[in-house]
Amino acid sequence: MAEMWITMGPQHPMTHGLWTLRVKVDGETVVDTVPELGYIHRGVEKICEARDFTQITPYCDRLCYASAMTWAQSYIYAAEDLLGAEVPERAEYIRLIAVEMQRVASHLMWLGAYCPDVGNLTVFVWCLRDRELFLDLLQELGGSRMHYNFPRVGGVKRDLPIGFAMRARAKIEMFRKRLQEYEMLLDESTIFLVRTQGVGACKAEEMINAGVTGPNIRAAGVNYDIRWAHPYSVYDQIDGLAAVEKVSSNEGSDCYDRYRVRMTEMIESCNMIISALDSIPGGAETHYNKKDEMIYLKPPIRAPAGQNGFHHFEDSRGESTFYLAGGGGKKGRGEFPYRMSIRSPMFITIPYVSKAMIGYKVADIPAIMGSFDPCIGETDR
Amino acid sequence: MAKDAKYDWLNVNKAIDSSATDIHSIAFNSIDVNAGTSFCAADGTIAANTFFFDTIPKCTGEVFEIVTTSVVAFTMCVVIFSIIMLSQFITVIWTERKLIARFMDRRGATTSMRSLWVGENGVTAGEWWTLLPFGLGAPVGWLVNTLNRFVGNKSDKATVSRVNNRSWHGIWFLFPGFFQGLGDGMKFLTKEHMVPNKADKLIYELAPFLIISSTVLILGFLPFGSGIYAADPEMSVLFAFAIFGIAPLGVFFAGWSSNNKYSLLGGIRSAAQLTAYEIPLLITILSVCVLSGSLNVIEIIDFQYGSGVWNFFLIPLGALLFLITMIAEVERIPFDMPEAEAELVEGWWTEYGGMRWGLLFASEYLRCYAACILMAHFFFGGYHAPFANFIGDFGSIGDAYLAIPGIVWVLLKAWFFFAIFVWVRAAFPRIRTDQILELGWKYLLPLSLINLAFAFILRLYVFDGNSWGPGSGLIVPAAITIISLILFVVLSVDEDPDWDGQRMNHTRTRTPAGTHTLGED
Repeated sequence: MAEMWITMGPQHPMTHGLWTLRVKVDGETVVDTVPELGYIHRGVEKICEARDFTQITPYCDRLCYASAMTWAQSYIYAAEDLLGAEVPERAEYIRLIAVEMQRVASHLMWLGAYCPDVGNLTVFVWCLRDRELFLDLLQELGGSRMHYNFPRVGGVKRDLPIGFAMRARAKIEMFRKRLQEYEMLLDESTIFLVRTQGVGACKAEEMINAGVTGPNIRAAGVNYDIRWAHPYSVYDQIDGLAAVEKVSSNEGSDCYDRYRVRMTEMIESCNMIISALDSIPGGAETHYNKKDEMIYLKPPIRAPAGQNGFHHFEDSRGESTFYLAGGGGKKGRGEFPYRMSIRSPMFITIPYVSKAMIGYKVADIPAIMGSFDPCIGETDR
Repeated sequence: MAKDAKYDWLNVNKAIDSSATDIHSIAFNSIDVNAGTSFCAADGTIAANTFFFDTIPKCTGEVFEIVTTSVVAFTMCVVIFSIIMLSQFITVIWTERKLIARFMDRRGATTSMRSLWVGENGVTAGEWWTLLPFGLGAPVGWLVNTLNRFVGNKSDKATVSRVNNRSWHGIWFLFPGFFQGLGDGMKFLTKEHMVPNKADKLIYELAPFLIISSTVLILGFLPFGSGIYAADPEMSVLFAFAIFGIAPLGVFFAGWSSNNKYSLLGGIRSAAQLTAYEIPLLITILSVCVLSGSLNVIEIIDFQYGSGVWNFFLIPLGALLFLITMIAEVERIPFDMPEAEAELVEGWWTEYGGMRWGLLFASEYLRCYAACILMAHFFFGGYHAPFANFIGDFGSIGDAYLAIPGIVWVLLKAWFFFAIFVWVRAAFPRIRTDQILELGWKYLLPLSLINLAFAFILRLYVFDGNSWGPGSGLIVPAAITIISLILFVVLSVDEDPDWDGQRMNHTRTRTPAGTHTLGED
């Protein structure tokens, strides 16, 4: 049969966002692909050059709709580096709890989006159901379900509410059981295995060369996680973060490996939340008022020209990096950043994945693409 | 056969037949009474004043026959159609929606108010009120505990602890959502019909009519009771499956004529997987026909009653194969590649809209429903009650049991199998086209041939003309059932210690630029 181009997107069930994958197919076989990005470019980096350091946080929330807390905190650490702000240790613990909850919610969103890609709608509904457990907890912190605007330069907006620790423990206990249900439905289903195992094979060195990070490269056996490789926050003080074990003995990774890594990371994140709740300074049941010095230290509000802020952060999808240059604003007084630059892990991953699916079937396109957890909000920025 | 076929009292065919005859005879007699206007005399001879019609010979015999038969056939079609429409559009779609919602726990943890008190077995998720100062939380705690005791979840086995997601919204005895399918169908009527630019208009318009009309035709050969059927040709099984095979042709038409690449790919997939499931399906049906010694659905049903054993207990493998291939035939998950919504937006349906889409959708459910009814007829005794011979012996209880009309059993059995279809849909992902080809040719076809040979052996060497084997005729079926159950359980357990080391391998057909290799590709 003759080869033809199919334009998948910008509105297509496979895309998980707003982008286009142009696929050249020979019958059912994918021969070539061309990704086209940029449909929802909002110019966040440019907007932030006219916002002060507190105002930027909501913009960073909106970089990724599935993982808002991690992106906001990724920015916050860079801004603290730029401004030289001090952060109380209790605030760091609260941030860690919030980020790991967001990571679980994001991975659940991924699993929920991935299973319809291979044809099972049940897991989608289950995942959204269980994501609500964590969204409710995050709502207690930030007051909102998706875009929290929770962290502040120099601390966090609010302390843990009364009873938060108790509810978090109960829900995590429940969630661990439900993860086993997922594994019973997916890992023991031969159809799921034949759809994921051996599909979307990627070699580790290729992924390193392309710049793929996060769970996607950990699935290939590359043991790199910024949380313990270059510890920031209080990740070096809590238990629960284990080095990722390779699931299979094969070289490289396939869709199943990427699925397993995220399942393992959800359990790890739960362990870290419990551990942080146990060891938080001041106790998890205590509630401090807003702007108490236990959770918030007033930072300097201006960064003069010549100062740089940089932080790399383990986002749910890989390594996100913020670079901030001081000295923006009126007459260079420094109340705004002069320049902000964002490294999005998915902007780097999507072109790589588009080429990695060459040679597979059309039915494998969503299976491979979905397994890398694309998020177009952060990709287009 | 050991026993004659059982006929239930709800014999619509007979009632309509006799009433039509009555009406005709009354009409003709009354005409006859009115002087001079009758064509025919009551005794069948030509009346004296009918010189104009005296070319019609034997008018009572043939004219009555023709008129009565067509009236009866028409009335039966209306009856069958009404049964189908009421038990299909409304009930089946409602069943699917409700079942899938239960499987998926659709009313999940989104009702945040109830999360305050709902726990399991009276234990709430967290006693946050004890943290309030001066015992202010005590009344709150009492309220929450009380609410939890009375409206909390009683079961901790169910995966419900935060909210009760078993709740019914609406009044339960009104079957909430029951008429939603009807409302959705009416919505399609208001939608505009569009033909895509540069589509092959004739073929594009023809395809849905081909699919829908052939689907409705299948139902003409499905008995809903011992006396409720529209047509009963000698070889109705052959006829029904010949008609079943027309719809895929309509799918090709739709796929190739829509001028849409997704539709085209869906059509290609449908063509590719057709032979993979159709051949095992027909061989399996052949084994049923061999076993029952007939190509007529009603005779197959009555044979199962007469010999006292459902076909399921003789060829359970055949029932399994029939279920699998029928799911493929009606294109439901896990075999719905032609309409895989993840990669081909809606496959060959993509370009259809309005009532054509609605009717295609309805016809898919009709085919699914017909498959369930056929499953009941071929393997589970059709319109006969379960254990009719056994329970029927218990005096008045048995009489009451046998008095349940056959249509009840047909619908119950069909809904049961439909529930299995929904269960399968909720539990499995979708497989790939190359995988269904592999499944069909490498597993289903040999298994169906084995099943056919088994049916031959049973019919030729075990069946003694009245029952299966010696004695009461239950030894052979019982043995087959027990052995099959053991095999099923043993084969279902796939615990393999070396499982982690073994991975499924995927064959690439082209080597890409950066040659990735995995395992033994």
